[in-house]
Amino acid sequence: MSAPGCWTRRAVLGLLPIAAVATAAPAPAPEAAAAFVRRLGERAFAVLRRRDLDRAGKLRALEVLVEEATDLELLARLVLGRYWRRATPAQRARFVDLFRRLLRKSLAERLDDYGGQTLEVVGAEPVGRADVLVHTRVRGPGTGKALAVDWRVRRRNGRFVVIDVIAEGVSLLITQRSQVAEVIGREGIDGLLRVLEERLRRPGGPTPSPRPS
Amino acid sequence: MAPNPRTRAALALLAALPLMLRVAPAAAEPVDDPLEPLNRAVFALNRVMDGTVLEPLAEFYDYAVPDYGKRRVADFLANLRAPVVFVNDLLQGERERAGVALGRFLVNSTLGLFGLFDIAARLGLPPHEEDFGQTLAVWGVEEGPYLVLPVLGPSNPRDLVGLLMDGFVFDPAAWVAPGRFRLGRAAAAAVVRRAELDPFLDELRARSLDEYAALRSAYRQRRAAAIRNGRVAVDESLYELPLEDPGEETP
Repeated sequence: MSAPGCWTRRAVLGLLPIAAVATAAPAPAPEAAAAFVRRLGERAFAVLRRRDLDRAGKLRALEVLVEEATDLELLARLVLGRYWRRATPAQRARFVDLFRRLLRKSLAERLDDYGGQTLEVVGAEPVGRADVLVHTRVRGPGTGKALAVDWRVRRRNGRFVVIDVIAEGVSLLITQRSQVAEVIGREGIDGLLRVLEERLRRPGGPTPSPRPS
Repeated sequence: MAPNPRTRAALALLAALPLMLRVAPAAAEPVDDPLEPLNRAVFALNRVMDGTVLEPLAEFYDYAVPDYGKRRVADFLANLRAPVVFVNDLLQGERERAGVALGRFLVNSTLGLFGLFDIAARLGLPPHEEDFGQTLAVWGVEEGPYLVLPVLGPSNPRDLVGLLMDGFVFDPAAWVAPGRFRLGRAAAAAVVRRAELDPFLDELRARSLDEYAALRSAYRQRRAAAIRNGRVAVDESLYELPLEDPGEETP
């Protein structure tokens, strides 16, 4: 409790949050982030439902949506983790490029799996330094078992970007990062780039697991 | 009822396993995979067995059984597990959840026609999962090295002990039900579980750079989430950009 009558201190304390907002990276309001995720889901499902677009048109619209809702270079850096520092500028640029093309490829391959899902935002909370975790339930058309999907959202350059998707406790970012670390540990960064290129050329579908080195 | 020889053998194995467990140190560190070459070999073997037996069975089940039937099977199997959930809730000191588990078992075994219908969920008693591996984690036991078990797949010493305790000690069926019933139930549970995991495994196989590493990571994350009972707790350093070396690149 502050001393009674000490109005100057109260005034200063009252100003502190404003000063904090002005200096630190602004933490987005959870509600705004939740609205962003809700809208993202609505727009994606709307694209998938459109009758006037063919498959290629839908894919193009979804790609635009993904580019708008993410920061691919930021994602690539987070996936590479500590190896980003060790990579040369040329390796970094190559990785970001391959990362983008692989994301597009998987989007294209997954396009036909979509249909009939619904996304419901059930909550949002601030996490970390300035991120928001938006909790959603994604319901499929079949047996209707709802999947708990959390979206980690960050405000960056004046817009919201999704930096991780956590389905039933499994983070896409952590899973990708552990694989990247495994491949780099075995074959180095150039080895990782080779594996990604090979992945890009391969048609979609299940693949045999690699042998231990 | 006296334990049969199989139960006794399992208990003997159980007694030896704590040697593999250590109590967790204060700071959690990322667990490595010292048995990786062996694990990868078992993983490859499991992959073959999955492709020849379990996956076709699961796909047939998924194709042949209508959704209504699938829900009845899932509800029935979940109800058989309720006593194990109840015991582990108690052991973790989760009294409220223990009450829910017990209430679910009583309601579903009677009103729910031997568990075929999850009436309790409609009465405001939603299902949850618990097992002795999670209980050990709550007690502070470390997961230990990653293990790929033949047939059973991803695990670790802690979860293996949990599996044996749940299956042979906590589960009333281990003491009263004939072996044939338990074998059939285990087979049914395996097929149902495989069918549920099918979209996830398809995705994993199609998209992963290293299927083994991806499954290992996913398993650990799933277990960690289950232990936290849904509470959020992540390693925040994951979401920080790695710092640049001085002078390496201008920000």
